[in-house]
Amino acid sequence: MRLAFNAKRNNRLGYLYDLLHELVLRDLKLRYRRSVLGILWTLLNPLAQLLVLNLVFGLVLQLNIPNYTLFLFTGLLAWNWFQSSLYAGTGSIVDNRELIHRPGFPAAILPVVTVASYFIHFLLALPILLVFMLLSGIPISGAFFALPVIFAIQFILSLGLIYLFAAIQVTFRDTQYLLGVLLFLGFYLTPVFYDTAALPPQLQPLYRLNPMATIIESYRSVFIQAELPAGLPLLLWGLVSVALLWFTAHVFQKANYRFVEEL
Amino acid sequence: MEDVIRVEGLSKKFSRYRSDRPWTFQDLFSAAGRRSLKRDEFWALQDVSFSLAAGRMVGIVGRNGAGKSTLLRLVGGVGKADRGRIITQGRIGALIDLGAGFHPDLTGRENVFINGVISGLTRREVAQNFDSIVAFAELEDFIDSPLRIYSMGMHMRLAFSVAVHIQPAILLIDEVLAVGDHTYQIKCLERIVQYKAQGCAILLVSHDTSLVSRLCDEVIWLEAGRMAAHGEATEVVGQYLVEMEAENR
Repeated sequence: MRLAFNAKRNNRLGYLYDLLHELVLRDLKLRYRRSVLGILWTLLNPLAQLLVLNLVFGLVLQLNIPNYTLFLFTGLLAWNWFQSSLYAGTGSIVDNRELIHRPGFPAAILPVVTVASYFIHFLLALPILLVFMLLSGIPISGAFFALPVIFAIQFILSLGLIYLFAAIQVTFRDTQYLLGVLLFLGFYLTPVFYDTAALPPQLQPLYRLNPMATIIESYRSVFIQAELPAGLPLLLWGLVSVALLWFTAHVFQKANYRFVEEL
Repeated sequence: MEDVIRVEGLSKKFSRYRSDRPWTFQDLFSAAGRRSLKRDEFWALQDVSFSLAAGRMVGIVGRNGAGKSTLLRLVGGVGKADRGRIITQGRIGALIDLGAGFHPDLTGRENVFINGVISGLTRREVAQNFDSIVAFAELEDFIDSPLRIYSMGMHMRLAFSVAVHIQPAILLIDEVLAVGDHTYQIKCLERIVQYKAQGCAILLVSHDTSLVSRLCDEVIWLEAGRMAAHGEATEVVGQYLVEMEAENR
């Protein structure tokens, strides 16, 4: 009896993995299928941002941050993953009406597909980051083993936020626009192109309330300082992210039946 | 035979679409939005009960808006009943919205994998059935071409072929048997009959009453969400047709 149950559960997990695999693959194929530059398109956007911001804050308004190109690129890649996932993920339920109406289709997988697709874009850009590290003479250290943990926390945090926004988006279709504005503000309120250390001391505690600040700084410890990131803030945000995901996934599942009627 | 579908006292309530329902936060915070928050409801299905054994086929007839598709979707687990319950056993296959997830820029092969997995197969199962899916769709020469060059008929054949390869215990069919030309339609119907013979329980929604009385063992006639009749196929279809004609006169 118990064995049968476990087998069923394993089947289900295997199936969900296959579904995720196919949907992520579809996302990636569609993005690159009909373009000559192919995968380079993913890199073009962060590289353009890098060029502009590097020009402004590296040359014109000098921030005097060592290894600024690497510093900036790390921030941009992490922030772009977060921002693109949140924005696209929020629309993922409304944009996939026909899938939501399929018998047996698990709607909860759509936000996971979005975050996973953009995660792959992040991974595809990592070789360029490694080139920047090489140019700056920074070694690939044992701190790299911390990367999966930081990836996981950012993944869980993004997913936790998306479940909430995507469920609201079904009822209120301007949620995505509002979120767009919030993310625009978020870009400036997160140390993507600047360093919190340069800010007035009274502002610094506020940045501890921004999980993306902690996450980006953790990436920077690995890629720039070649050190393990500070454990405690990362652990705390990890726990908060898990709690958030647990809560919003529940809200999402509760709202699940409503999607069919509202779409 | 064991029942694979049991529907007991099923009722489903919908809110009527109102153009002044708030669709955005902007609406919600304006006076017009708040006024419409009270809901205007109606019963799409009321007190529907039936059961279906493996290897049996039930047709559902009724005029537009009688609740036929709603019933089918609820049995498929899409949406939630307001009253009553539905118990189903085994994998559910659906010939509803064929080709969900199909994308014109991907090849037939890629689309078969995506659509197959969306329909409930694992990747390995799609791979095992792949040749058979392509053969049934009669698309061997086009399978590696992008879907956008397919004709409407080819498109439908591929979608139908994936759908009939998932070997369900329960098959839900909503008006999608009109696939391809006459010969191909016969081939599709034969496949359905074959499934039934293998012990698949089938729910068929159709306006084609002659098809329904030919294929089905029993028929449910839905009238404004209620069961007007339920019984032997030709008998119920007969009653239904008499009523429809009486109205036309």
